[in-house]
This record gives sequence, C-alpha cells and structure tokens, in this order.
Amino acid sequence: MVLPRSAWRRLYQQRLVLLLTMLAFVWPALCAGFVYLSNHVELLQGLEDEFKQFIQVDGRFFSIFMYVQGGFAVFLAALAGPGLIAPDLANNALPLYFSRPLTRWGYALARLTVLVGMLSVVTWVPGLVLFGLQVGLAGGTWFAANWTLGAGMVAGFLLWLLILSLVAMASSAYVKWRVVAAAVSLAFFFILSGVAEMIDNVLRVTWGHIIDPAWAVNQVWCAWLGVTLPAGAGAGASGLALAVMMLLLVPVIASRLQPVEVVS
Amino acid sequence: MSTVPVVELENLKVTLGRREILHGITCRLGASGMGKAVGLLGPNGAGKSTLILTLLGFLRPSAGRARILGLDCGRRMGEARSRIGYMPENDSFIGDMTAVTFLRQMAELSGLPPDAALEKSHEVLFHVGLGEARYRELRTYSYGMKQMAKLAQAIVHGPELVVLDEPTNGLDPAARRRMLKLIGEMKQEQGMSVIVCSHLLRDIEQVCDEAVILKDGQIVHHCNLEEERRSNRRFVELEVTGDDRNLRAALPEIGAEGVPEGGGRWRLVLPAGVELEAVWRLAARQNLLVRRITHRQDTLEEIFLKALGHLAPAPEEGAGPDPGRA
Repeated sequence: MVLPRSAWRRLYQQRLVLLLTMLAFVWPALCAGFVYLSNHVELLQGLEDEFKQFIQVDGRFFSIFMYVQGGFAVFLAALAGPGLIAPDLANNALPLYFSRPLTRWGYALARLTVLVGMLSVVTWVPGLVLFGLQVGLAGGTWFAANWTLGAGMVAGFLLWLLILSLVAMASSAYVKWRVVAAAVSLAFFFILSGVAEMIDNVLRVTWGHIIDPAWAVNQVWCAWLGVTLPAGAGAGASGLALAVMMLLLVPVIASRLQPVEVVS
Repeated sequence: MSTVPVVELENLKVTLGRREILHGITCRLGASGMGKAVGLLGPNGAGKSTLILTLLGFLRPSAGRARILGLDCGRRMGEARSRIGYMPENDSFIGDMTAVTFLRQMAELSGLPPDAALEKSHEVLFHVGLGEARYRELRTYSYGMKQMAKLAQAIVHGPELVVLDEPTNGLDPAARRRMLKLIGEMKQEQGMSVIVCSHLLRDIEQVCDEAVILKDGQIVHHCNLEEERRSNRRFVELEVTGDDRNLRAALPEIGAEGVPEGGGRWRLVLPAGVELEAVWRLAARQNLLVRRITHRQDTLEEIFLKALGHLAPAPEEGAGPDPGRA
C-alpha cells in the first residue's frame, strides 16, 4: 500500500481534482432528496398521480443515477489518471521502483487501485449510501424485493471504473504531458462514440454502438438493474465487447511499464 | 566456510532483439559481506549496462545463469531486490516529491516499516550532505544534488549490495571526491558490497578492490586491484649511466632478474623482501650512476589498454595475478 498511499495524497493535492470530486456529490445529494421524497408521500399531497408514480426508487432511478455519476467519473479519471504514470515515465523513475521488490504488475495494480479507489468515492459509495437510505426508509420488505439493484449498481460501477482506469492509465503511459494525456483519455470515449454512430448510420445497422464503451456499459447496467435495454446489441454482447476492450488495454499498458527501453 | 560471491555468472548470454550482447560470461565477482567493491569497466557498447540490467532482473538471459548474493536472478529476484540498492546512470526521481518523502517511499518499497523508513531517510540525507535541502522538491536540485539523492535512495534501506552506474558522471571535482569518499565509507564502515560501473578508470582505481574489463560482451580481464598494486612493488624501472653490460650478470646477487631496454634503462623484478636499497647498493658496486629508480606504476589505465589490445604487454607480463583472463 506504499504506492497507493503516496499517490492518493498527491492526487488530492490537485485543486481541480478536489473541486470535481466535491461537485460529484451534488447529484447524489439531489438523489438523496428524491429518495426522501419518494418515501414521504404526505409531502407530495396535491401533486398529480402521474408525478407520484414517476418518483419511485427502482431500477430506472438507479440507472439514471449511475449514468450521471458515470459521466462525472469519466472527467475525474481523465483529470487524475495522467498524474499517476506519466510523471514516473517522464522522470525515468521506473528503474527505481523495479529495482525494489515490486513487480510491473504490482506497480500497475497499485496505480489501478488509486484510480478505482478515488472514483469509487464518487460512484458506488454514494450509490450504496442512497441504496441504504432507501432501505432505511422503505424497510426490509423493499430490500428483500430489490437487493439485486444494490448489487447490480456496485458491480456495474466497478466494471465502468475498471474501464475508465485502464483507459486513463494507458493514456498516461503513452503521453508524458498531463494535459495531453487527459485530452487523449477523454477523446478515447468521444471518438469511439462518434465512430459507433458513423457505423450505425453508414452501414444502417444497430450493433455499431458496441464499440462505444459508454453505450456498452449502459446496456450492461440496464440488464443488471432490470431496466428495458435501448435498441442495439444485447447486454451479453456489450459485456463481451467491454471485456475485449479491457483485455486489449492490459498489454498496451504493460508494454510501457518497462524498467529499461530495449531498442532492437 | 566458503563465502558467497556477490555476483556469479555461468555462461551468461543476453540477447536484445536479434543481437547477442553478452556472449557466455562465466565469472565470480566479490564476496558478500566483506565490504569490497568491484569495478566494471569497458568501452562503450562492451555490455556493462546490459550486465547490470540483467543482474537487476530487468533483462532476461537468453542462456546461462546469473546469481546475485547467491540468489538466482530469475527465480528469486524479489528476494534479491530487497537486499540490493541501485543507482541508475540517468536522472531518476519523482520531481514533485521532497527528498525526504521520496526516500521514505523508496525505503518502504524495499520493505522498511514506515517509521524506520522516515528515520533512515533523514539520516541518509544528512549522511550524503543533503540534510539542509531535504524538504525541497527534487526537481529544484542541482545535478550534483540529484546524484547524491540517487545515491541516498540506493542505500536508504541498508542493502548488502549497492550497484552504482556511473556514479561520478558529470560531477565537479569536489562533488566527485565526495561521492568517492561516500562509496569508500559504504564499503569500510557499513560493510556493503559495491559494484561500480564506470568509464572513469581513476574512480575505479580509487574505490575498487577488483576490476572486470568487458569488451564486445566478454570478460577480457579480471584482476584483483589490491594484488595488482602489491605486485607492482616487485617491478622496478631503473635508469643508469655508465657501463651496465655486467649488470644482468650481477642481478642474481640480490636475487633479482632484469631486462635491458637500451639507453641505460632496465626493467627489474625483485624477489619478495628485497627493497630498492639493495638495487642502489648493487649499482654502486657496478660503478653505475642511478638516474632514476621507481616501482613500476602499472595503472589501471595500462591494464585496461592492454586488455583491450591497445597496448603491447610488457616482457614480464604474466608474472602478476590474472585469474579471469579469457
């Protein structure tokens, strides 16, 4: 835990990271208000039945919560990720790390832990708090009927955080300048989304979005939260696409984490 | 009980890309726990850095074996690394960290508990002369200070073996002297074994007890510098005026042998226990006027140049120890 501890401290020394982290709590706070309202129907007297039906804590509610927080996580990962590996590469610090009892995988895992940990603070942790709040207000019966929502949310967020962290680490490992690395990290998602849109429109198909990680993860989330899936590839195919994406990112990162660069 | 060599290589071959860099090196260097230093010498491209990187487990041998402190560099590298300190040649640090934080992190990574790591960091920074600057960020350090910080991180966890890659590179004379003094102290006071890779022969000569000369991926010379220095005392260079034709026949009187080089210059080999005074007396008996008499100064530079084939060997070459000549 030596590396994560020190990296964690350095991360929160960046004001922008701190600011964005604080901003990321606004939406969970609003959602907490929503949960409170939905459990206090007496406060909603005089409102139309349609609205009363709208404010229900169910899979749809959690999927909207996740979509917004997932978006925040993208920006936070792009902001914080490049500061993890890029400085070590720029300062040639890897030989110092790897001449100690620390393997490349240990180093990568430590960096991944930092990012996943930091993003957890604004994603599944507040999500779980919301879930707990709902359980507290609605009671054990609601929990017994909806525990899969909590499990699906945590698992869904962790899947997304893993992808975000790997993308941020890969851009950090290849681009030494932090700002450019952050831009590359963001561009990855926007470009793939654009390309997916192009594929769908040019080829007149509906599976093109499978290469868009944000879209694919939303399909998986919807399936896990029991929400109707948007048109296109199913949750299984989307999950497979995400797994392939992660498998491709791992060697991309590993190839850069070398103590010495060998020019053959 | 036999001592464990610091480095043990068995037919070590290292290939980078399609090119074989180290061609089957076999040798035993140093003895762990004895506080001795081994110098790694060789021209550019000889394979010094490749050897160091292989010993640190950064490069994998294509054949053969390498052991460091008796531990296999492939299978037990994790264990070996906690007992090694490495100072790389190039700038290596984490710029936005203070020296003390940097050292603490490195010490903890090597296995020291957090409190001990912090205490050792302060101690070592004072030891290398960075005590006053220990709360400054490393990126604000001068080149010489960065070199010292690199040395500090290599020794902060009290390793048994320290590998120094060009430690005096780019240092001004005062900083160089300080660096060499620190290396000497590491050996003598803390009993650390040291491997110094350098192209500065003087530095190797000053701090090392053994030297290995590499050329084209092979060891071309392995000498014990201490014995080399001792054996130099047996070789005498003499210059006389007068008729020296009978000198050769007279030399056995003091148990010596000699080779004339013309112009009154001689190269003598004295037996153990015979001092220069005996040569003076012999010359006086032969009515020769001694113009110059010195012990041979067979510097590391000469050894190096001979090993690389840039200097013809002296006639008596071979009398000294040369265990690892390949």
